[in-house]
Amino acid sequence: MFRHNTLRYGALVLLAAGAVAHAVTAGYFGLEILTEILILAILVLALDIVAGFGGMVSLCHGALMGVGAYAFALLSTKAGISVPLSMVAAVAITGAGAWVVGAVCARSHGIYFIMATLAFGQMAYSYVFEAPVFGGDDGLGGISRPDLSLVGIDLDDSRSFALFCLAALTLVYGAAVITLRSGLGRSLSGVMHNAQRMRALGLTVWRVKADIFGVSGMIAGLAGVLAAQHSMYISPGLLNWTVSGEALVVVILGGLGTLVGPLVGAAAFVVLKHEVSALTSYWHLVVGSILIAVVLSRANGIFGWVEARWGAKLDRRLADSTRGTEAQEVTGDA
Amino acid sequence: MLELQGLDKSFGAVHVTRNVSMKLERGERRVILGPNGAGKTTLFNQIVGELTPDKGTIHLAGQDVTGLSVAGRARQGLSRSYQKNTLFDGLTVEENLGLAAAVHTGHATRLWSDSLAKPEVREIVAEVANQVNLMPYLHAKVSEVSYGVRRQLEVGVALATRPMVLLMDEPTSGVGPEMSKGFHDLLNNLPRDLTILIIEHDMDLAFDVADTITVLNYGEVVFDGLPEAARGSKLLKEIYLGSWEDA
Amino acid sequence: MDLGFWTLQALNALQLSMLLFLLSIGLTVIFGLMHFVNLAHGSLYALGAYFGASLAATGGYWTGFFLAPVAVMAVGLVLYTLLIRRMRKSGPMAQVLVTFGLIFALLDLTRIVWGDLGLPMNAPEILSGRVAFLGVEYPAYRLFVVALGLGVFAALAYVLSRTQIGAMIRAGVDNDAMAACLGINVERLFFIVFCVGCALAGLAGTVAAPLLSVTPDMGLHILIPTLIVIVVGGLGSLKGAIAGSLIYGFVQTFGAVLAPQLASMLIYGFLAAVLVIKPAGLFPAKG
Repeated sequence: MFRHNTLRYGALVLLAAGAVAHAVTAGYFGLEILTEILILAILVLALDIVAGFGGMVSLCHGALMGVGAYAFALLSTKAGISVPLSMVAAVAITGAGAWVVGAVCARSHGIYFIMATLAFGQMAYSYVFEAPVFGGDDGLGGISRPDLSLVGIDLDDSRSFALFCLAALTLVYGAAVITLRSGLGRSLSGVMHNAQRMRALGLTVWRVKADIFGVSGMIAGLAGVLAAQHSMYISPGLLNWTVSGEALVVVILGGLGTLVGPLVGAAAFVVLKHEVSALTSYWHLVVGSILIAVVLSRANGIFGWVEARWGAKLDRRLADSTRGTEAQEVTGDA
Repeated sequence: MLELQGLDKSFGAVHVTRNVSMKLERGERRVILGPNGAGKTTLFNQIVGELTPDKGTIHLAGQDVTGLSVAGRARQGLSRSYQKNTLFDGLTVEENLGLAAAVHTGHATRLWSDSLAKPEVREIVAEVANQVNLMPYLHAKVSEVSYGVRRQLEVGVALATRPMVLLMDEPTSGVGPEMSKGFHDLLNNLPRDLTILIIEHDMDLAFDVADTITVLNYGEVVFDGLPEAARGSKLLKEIYLGSWEDA
Repeated sequence: MDLGFWTLQALNALQLSMLLFLLSIGLTVIFGLMHFVNLAHGSLYALGAYFGASLAATGGYWTGFFLAPVAVMAVGLVLYTLLIRRMRKSGPMAQVLVTFGLIFALLDLTRIVWGDLGLPMNAPEILSGRVAFLGVEYPAYRLFVVALGLGVFAALAYVLSRTQIGAMIRAGVDNDAMAACLGINVERLFFIVFCVGCALAGLAGTVAAPLLSVTPDMGLHILIPTLIVIVVGGLGSLKGAIAGSLIYGFVQTFGAVLAPQLASMLIYGFLAAVLVIKPAGLFPAKG
């Protein structure tokens, strides 16, 4: 089950403040990078829910994001459905698809689960690549962003769109916390700890896994919708397994099963990628070495490492200074 | 309440249980005794649904549950505890009980509400914690409490699904003589209408808590009756005590 | 579509299968023996191709053919001592991630050493022509690859079933704790298997080089098919590796000519079906 602690709240406040400050002050390229971070953050939150809290290491989340992106693009550009409705439908479609994948893969464990999700992801990738309706290798263009001119916001402006994505991420973070703290979320942690016992208590384990996978898929689908709106053009590469692999790397670098860590990971990953790419074309060597170093250090990513060192200490110090007064619960801020 | 009819199970050429039948009335507390390798665990696994019998049926409260899965039988009111603690170590005692109670009340699969905040769940948790003396430890993590407390929690988790029949797999396994005494008290604390089937190889304890006793040997029921009769039985002494010394 | 067509496609499928077999056998036995998930196996294959192409450019094809596997084995040895031995006791997740990082690192290292452009490598003179085989004209080199794969399969089958070290490996795959109790040095056994696996990956890379273009990302491209092979076949078994390779080779090749629209989906659908129906693969090493 997910719990906030002082360090997590602190990190969330810092991240939110940083994102807002950046969104207000940054120029065009800065805003592009910020939006990239925010969309990646939504995707890795989805992955952390299943991998970090359910032990389901998925290699199809990139594909789920792609499904969301393509569903949105097709519905809004070819089927003539309004943008908001297309967004909702795309999220629902991705969630339903993810539920099926989760239900089918629920029996597999470890490397088999990874391979099974990979198989489904690559199936979607191949299908999108081959079927003419998706535009094949050329992809789909002409995708539009939601029209918020009624409330005086022009989302075609990259600053507004970055803030729009930030709002979406905040919403998703709140939804993730609620999901993990719900009865379903508690059962999921029970299943991750000991699926056999949960079964003996009368729980239909595969249903829990499938439901959570569905929720996670909806979030990944939303990331896809935003990605499509961001670049206004999508290609099958979005669904390739390497995207899922990259998302997994971000979750690991940030801190598996901490929700906050993957957000830190997304920011660090995108910034590092742009900085390193500016210096050398050997970005993969850098990220590969960092990944190896992080795993060898046995720390749970950047945030996990910080938390292990200072998290408990900070909580204790705070508890000492505010003896008797319970910290107020705040949820849903990112 | 629980009726086994002609349960047969073999692994390859090894016949592990042969034509095992027994009938437990509501509120009956029965202990299954037998030397190592008598087929107790195999029988237990057939009752809870981990194994499917080759032949025979299992009825729970008049309903045939032979075809149901482990989870399906649990939902019909059959709960079990494990010989080796099977708890959720990173969670608190309260959360452990809450998980089980949530499954029973249907809150375990709700997406928009916290199961542990529900009054029905809290009620069950409090009641079970009282029954198995876990009140002082509710907020401690499982990894922080003693082995004896974990043993109590093992039973508590099984009880928190509000079963009609409770199956216990060697409940005093690994605890000392004083704890065994404590376990006796714990059983006395449980509602009298709860049907309990215990697999045990501590004979003294068995005679202490059992209403009825079944003795298994080589997969067959060799005795079925009252503890007093079992105590005097020569057959029981031979097959059980004989190998007991070896074990 | 006459008989010749079918023969030709069957040979193509067989040739692809044999390449995959050379790669997957090392990976699957390493996994079966030590539960070690080495995703960087495909990178060793790419290294084999690069070593082969470079050596062939100076000393001719056969220099590359014989020395590239040795060179790859040496790289494997370095990886083993520096990284993999340390990861032995970690969970599968950590192993997947470390070797995933290794893929990235090796990808760029090959780019640094050999550049971004593909390297050419020619088949040896003696195998460069076409031969008449079962009524079709078929490139001699491709037949050589098929023969090589079958030869390696036969040799491994012999070693695994008839020799003492084979028996030790089988015991280790079956139950490593028990094997250790029987006095088998499991650690050394793993080391040997790992080296042989690396050498076979290098060999696969070298023989593949004249068929494909040698590029930095060839290891990444072959990784997924190799994983599919071992998961479909069942981790840890020789039978599974050969069966998985044949299935992949034939489904992929015939899918591509008979139903080009569905070809790539077909194999993933097959993988998904296998995992659903037989989660441990078709021929799992353990019961």
